[in-house]
Amino acid sequence: MTEQSSQNRFVSQPRRVREDRRFVAGKGRFVADIDIPGTLHVAFVAGTYAAARIESIDTSAALDMPGVVDIVTGDQLAAEIAPLMNGLDTPKVRRYPLAVGDVRYAGEWVCAVVAESREQAEDAADLVRVRYAKRDFVLDAEEALTREAPVVHPDHGSNVLLDKTFVWGGVEEDFDRSDEKLSLRVTWGRNSTVPIETFGVVAKWDPWERILDVWASIQMPKYADQIARALGLPGNGVRVHYDVDVGGSYGVKRGIKHTVLAGFFARRLGRPIRLIEDRIENMRAGDAHGPERIFDIDVAFNRDGTVRSMKMRALDNAGAYAGRAPFQLGKPIGAIVGPYRINSVQYHALSVTTNKTVEEAVRGFGQSPTNYAIETMMDRVAAHLGMDRLELRRRNLIRKEQFPYLIPSGTTYDSGDYHTVIDKVLLHADYDALVAERDRLRAEGQCAGIGIAACLEPSGGNSSFEPLLNEKNRTSTWMESVRINVDATGAVIVAIHTTSAGQGHETLAATVVGERLQIDPDAIRIVRPDSLESLPGNSPVGSRMAIMLGGAAARAADTLRAQILQIASHVSGIAEEKLTYREAAVHGPDGVVMDWAEIVDVTHRRFHDLPEGMSPGLSAQHILQVPTGTALPKDGKVQMYPCFSFEFHLVLIAFDPILAKPEIRRYVIGHDCGTVINPHIVRGMTLGGIAHGIGAALLEEFAYDDDGQLQTQSFLDYLMPSSHEVPNVEIVHHCTPSPHTEFGQKGSGESGYLGAPAAISGAIHDAIASRGITLDKLPIRMSAISDAIAAADAVQKKGIDV
Amino acid sequence: MKLNLEGKEQFDAPPQELWDALIDPEVLTKCIPGCRKMTEIGPDSYVIEVQLKVAAVGGSFEGAVSLHDKNEPESCRIKVSGEGSLGTGEGQASFTITPTDDGGSELSYYGEGEVGGLVAGVGQRILKSVSRHLVKQFFTGLKKHFSASDDVSTES
Repeated sequence: MTEQSSQNRFVSQPRRVREDRRFVAGKGRFVADIDIPGTLHVAFVAGTYAAARIESIDTSAALDMPGVVDIVTGDQLAAEIAPLMNGLDTPKVRRYPLAVGDVRYAGEWVCAVVAESREQAEDAADLVRVRYAKRDFVLDAEEALTREAPVVHPDHGSNVLLDKTFVWGGVEEDFDRSDEKLSLRVTWGRNSTVPIETFGVVAKWDPWERILDVWASIQMPKYADQIARALGLPGNGVRVHYDVDVGGSYGVKRGIKHTVLAGFFARRLGRPIRLIEDRIENMRAGDAHGPERIFDIDVAFNRDGTVRSMKMRALDNAGAYAGRAPFQLGKPIGAIVGPYRINSVQYHALSVTTNKTVEEAVRGFGQSPTNYAIETMMDRVAAHLGMDRLELRRRNLIRKEQFPYLIPSGTTYDSGDYHTVIDKVLLHADYDALVAERDRLRAEGQCAGIGIAACLEPSGGNSSFEPLLNEKNRTSTWMESVRINVDATGAVIVAIHTTSAGQGHETLAATVVGERLQIDPDAIRIVRPDSLESLPGNSPVGSRMAIMLGGAAARAADTLRAQILQIASHVSGIAEEKLTYREAAVHGPDGVVMDWAEIVDVTHRRFHDLPEGMSPGLSAQHILQVPTGTALPKDGKVQMYPCFSFEFHLVLIAFDPILAKPEIRRYVIGHDCGTVINPHIVRGMTLGGIAHGIGAALLEEFAYDDDGQLQTQSFLDYLMPSSHEVPNVEIVHHCTPSPHTEFGQKGSGESGYLGAPAAISGAIHDAIASRGITLDKLPIRMSAISDAIAAADAVQKKGIDV
Repeated sequence: MKLNLEGKEQFDAPPQELWDALIDPEVLTKCIPGCRKMTEIGPDSYVIEVQLKVAAVGGSFEGAVSLHDKNEPESCRIKVSGEGSLGTGEGQASFTITPTDDGGSELSYYGEGEVGGLVAGVGQRILKSVSRHLVKQFFTGLKKHFSASDDVSTES
């Protein structure tokens, strides 16, 4: 594993990201570029109320409009397709692409209009007349838990989708034995990733072949299977084309309802269907909001700073349907104590339906909110004890020599050296000078604060949270595959079996195969077969592709090397142990035994020279199971992800006490994701993740008014961080290889995002600490800061006046 | 979200003419911005269809309009409620017409309403100014109506 790292020719080298060439030149191929003659377009009639019975739908005027081909209501659709897949055991929370019977959130799609052009479909949608009977609705997760609350799915009986309590270790004993306890509540606001490219899909039905072709802006495990199930097609009746560039995702590009609808129309009408959301459809009803979560924490600790036990209740507002989102309460179980040695944990995971837009997976799958809660807890413990925040963390962090480290919830962390990463960051930033700078700003009358966050990125995504939260789910397999083929000219073709949303999988696979075969990665062709030609895989989720795609690529290349050595030994008569593979050739004791051209010649043309029983051609594949993913949960414990990257954020923020617009003066992050395969990709992920985290901490929120109407459904109101808000970020690298992976790599697809909100919140609190204020809900908008300061100052002034 | 509007407008037309225009569906169809159709469905009760564009969203609105407490040609109350792809709306307004010294009339009006749905979500921050703009457009249209029925003159 590590013995090679110093000898790597391509891995870890700052080589150009091959995909960037086409993106920078504007030559990507996105779903909107799929142009099939005769395509029809879809527009929607959106529900007006947060909750209403659909009494009647009159489509007559709309059907008379020019270009209109078809209009379908939810009732008509539900009669012909199966409900969309449900992750939890909640069969009566049925979800279809269109509202059936009831509208359960404002903007939910009620009717789909198909026309020759999108414009015609939109104009016709305007003329569909829907009569509603308003119903009571619930927006707040805590209210949704009460007995009196309107129930979003009456057949289900309550709003509770998930209510599970885990106790790992002697929680009550640890609480009894601890010197101190404190409680806190923090809230993670409803935000998401909001890619500039909205979700889009093109579907085409071939009645003679009986196959549905799908091109989509998708990042979703088991996408083709889910389409087939919903439409009642055999699995091999759906062909998803993976050679479509996805214009940003970070989890949310999971347009299953859109795709099922497009597939339904494609079959029904016998013409290609294109459904691309406009911005408002995407924001309101694309079902792509991220977690909205209230954390209630009790923590028990000693006066020396040792944190002994934690009770955490996480209440998630899932929106109107279940989807896969409640599992986002499950993944953080695999890192529930963060990077700390906390002896016991009680975790209460609660997910409820409300009349808000449906939640979807977002970068980190619930880990960033949890990290924010844990880090805020650590800051509060330090404040309570009057202890330095860094010192408190140092005392509780898992030490390098303690790895592999088993946490109470059953996961073993692979490796890490947290203290060293922190020391390197403090040294790089000149921490004492940073503190002096903060104090200088304070002396000038500014509010200035330093924030820190020490967080984990679980990576290598398997689905252990599925069987943990739903006993009927027996999934422990979460594989990824690569196939390598060397053609008769000696050219190398590597097949990967997924779409990509900017993660650089082509560069990853080429680098790894190039490394193992010792050939120039740029000479390797990467192909993306469609889903019917693909080996099994689970798409780029759970920060897994460096580990899983990289791992599968390395192992497939190793199989090829073994075959090549066997052939060389057979042809040369030299024992295999005396042969080495180097520089794309086999070397024996007296020089080159067989070069690449000859290897290819033997495998493709000289069957008579092949060892007995060996098939001709030069081809290998590997289907890799997630390392450590060997067992189902037992007694509420399971090994979640295999690898754990570490990040340490240090940020200085200053703002005027009256205006309170936070300005990030310095941002340093220490990052350890094991062996880096491509430094540009990891850097890009980290910078983007921090920008995303700034949005979550300060700006982005899907806010609803009292009527249940979404108030932030365009970029005028949903505020994204721009270059004005994103500072220069200094990255300090450290490498603690993982023992579980081919090169020692860990995941980095969520880096930055997992700690930035915690660090920024911490900095703001440090800036206002003297006023005794806490701001316990993200995003912390500038108005909230200035109002809180004004209120605190008014109280203080009054006190002085009296 | 709640909206309210009030104001005064001067017209060259005498009170009776202004009154007649204000309850004439044909005149109103011409003057209400985006109005496609206004149909009388009973005494003092109408159905109105409007097509509008607010901020980034455009769409339709179908409403019921009814007149109450008619005191010709001086004052009246109007109720509106309806919905469409733009969202929902409900409101009440009242107006008073007083003669002016030059033989014209002055209209003072007050209205309050509540809008919901798409338009309230997307357009909330500009809805007030948009509604003021729409009212202004309405009165401009109404004044044009009077000047057109008199002689050809430019709008003020």
